[in-house]
Amino acid sequence: MKEPVYEVFARKAREEPLRHIGFINATDDDLARVYAWKTYDEQNWAEMCVIPRSAIIPVDPGESQFVTANAPATEDSIVHARATGAYGGSDVAIKGDA
Amino acid sequence: MARYTDEELKEKVHNGFIVEYPDEMTEGYRNALIVQLLVQADTELISAPAYFGAAKDAPSTNTMVSATAIIQDELAHANIAYRLLEDLGMDKEQLVYGRQAHEFKHPYGFDHPLENWAELVVANGLYDRAGITLLGDVFKNTSYGPLKRALVKVDQEETFHLRHGEMWMKRLSAAGGEAKESIQRAVDWMFPMAVEWFGLPDDMKRHSGQLDYKLKGMTNDELRQTWMQSTVPLCESIGIEVPAHWDEGRERFVLDYAFPCEYDEDEKRWLMDEGEISWSQVFERWKGRGPANKRFVESIQEGRAFRGMLEAA
Repeated sequence: MKEPVYEVFARKAREEPLRHIGFINATDDDLARVYAWKTYDEQNWAEMCVIPRSAIIPVDPGESQFVTANAPATEDSIVHARATGAYGGSDVAIKGDA
Repeated sequence: MARYTDEELKEKVHNGFIVEYPDEMTEGYRNALIVQLLVQADTELISAPAYFGAAKDAPSTNTMVSATAIIQDELAHANIAYRLLEDLGMDKEQLVYGRQAHEFKHPYGFDHPLENWAELVVANGLYDRAGITLLGDVFKNTSYGPLKRALVKVDQEETFHLRHGEMWMKRLSAAGGEAKESIQRAVDWMFPMAVEWFGLPDDMKRHSGQLDYKLKGMTNDELRQTWMQSTVPLCESIGIEVPAHWDEGRERFVLDYAFPCEYDEDEKRWLMDEGEISWSQVFERWKGRGPANKRFVESIQEGRAFRGMLEAA
C-alpha cells in the first residue's frame, strides 16, 4: 500500500505567511487533511493546508526540497544489520562494515 | 553522482554547510544518516507499546488523556522519521511491517515492560530526557536540513513528556510511603538502563561517522554527562537515591557502581555487586534483545491483517 506524500503548510496568525511545517503520507486528500491536523497539533494553527508533493513544480528541479530522491534501495544491508544501536548513537554496524 | 568527495563533504559540513539534496550526499553520509534515522524512528515507535502497557494504570481519566497524548506524539515522531527515510530511498511499509522483532534498532532499555504508573512517569522523566538530550544535540548540530526542520515539532513535544514525568515523579515522591517506594524501585533499574543507553565510553569508541558528517555534535560521554546534569539533581531534590554523584575534583558526574554491569531481566535488577563486565558482553545482551521485544513489535505489526484486506480490495 504505497501512500503518496503530502506537504503540510500552516501559519499561526493571519498576518504570517504560510510556512512549511512537515509532511505526511496518505492515500487520498481527505485522509491527508485528517492526518495533518492530528499529527501537527503542537500549535494552535490559524490555518493549515496540505499539498500533494506531486503537484509541486519546482522552478529549479535541482534545488527543491520537495523532489523525492529515487535513490537505490539500501535496505537489505541496513535493515539486517545487528541490533546494537543506542538512540542517536552510532554503534549500529552496517552489514559488511565490520 | 555525488557532487563532493567524502573528505570535501566532511570539511564542508564542519564549516556550516547544510545538506538539502540527495546528490550532495556521499554514500558514507547517506548510510550514516539512514542508521541514525532508523534508530530514532524505531525508538519512537517502540516507546508507544511500552508506554501503553503502563498508561492503562493511569490514576484518573485526565492523566489517562495525558498519557495517551504522549503515546500519540511518539507514533507521530516515528512516522516523521520513517517519512524522512523514504526520501532516502527506504520503504516505510517494509521498515514498520516487514522486519523481524530483533531487527529493530531501538535501545535495549525499551525491550522491557513498563508495569505500573510509577514506571511510566519515570520513563518520561528519564528516557524521554535521554531522548531530548540526544535529539536536542542532533537539532543543534545536524548538517541535514530536512531533519533539523522536522525536529522543531519533536523537541517541543518531548519537552512536554519530560515535564509530565518530572511532575509525577515529584508528586508520587511527595506522597511518601508506597508511592515514593514505587518511584525509587523504578529509578533503581531505569537509571542504569539510561546510563548504558548512551553507549561506549569515548576512550573505547570506535570511529564515529555521525560526528565526522556532523549528524550530531556531542560524544557519548558528553551526552551521558548532560543527561546526568539534570537527572541526578532532579532525583536528589525529591529524595530519590541514584547511583551517581557530582565529583568536585573531576568536575563531572561519577557513577557509584561497576559500569557496565550485568542485568537480571526477570528480577529487573542490576547485578552491581558482581562487578564490571566488558562492553562486548553488553553488546551480546543488547543483541539478544530484552523480554518484551517480540511482544512490542508484534503489537505494532498487528494491523497487517487489515492492510492485507485493503490491498486485496
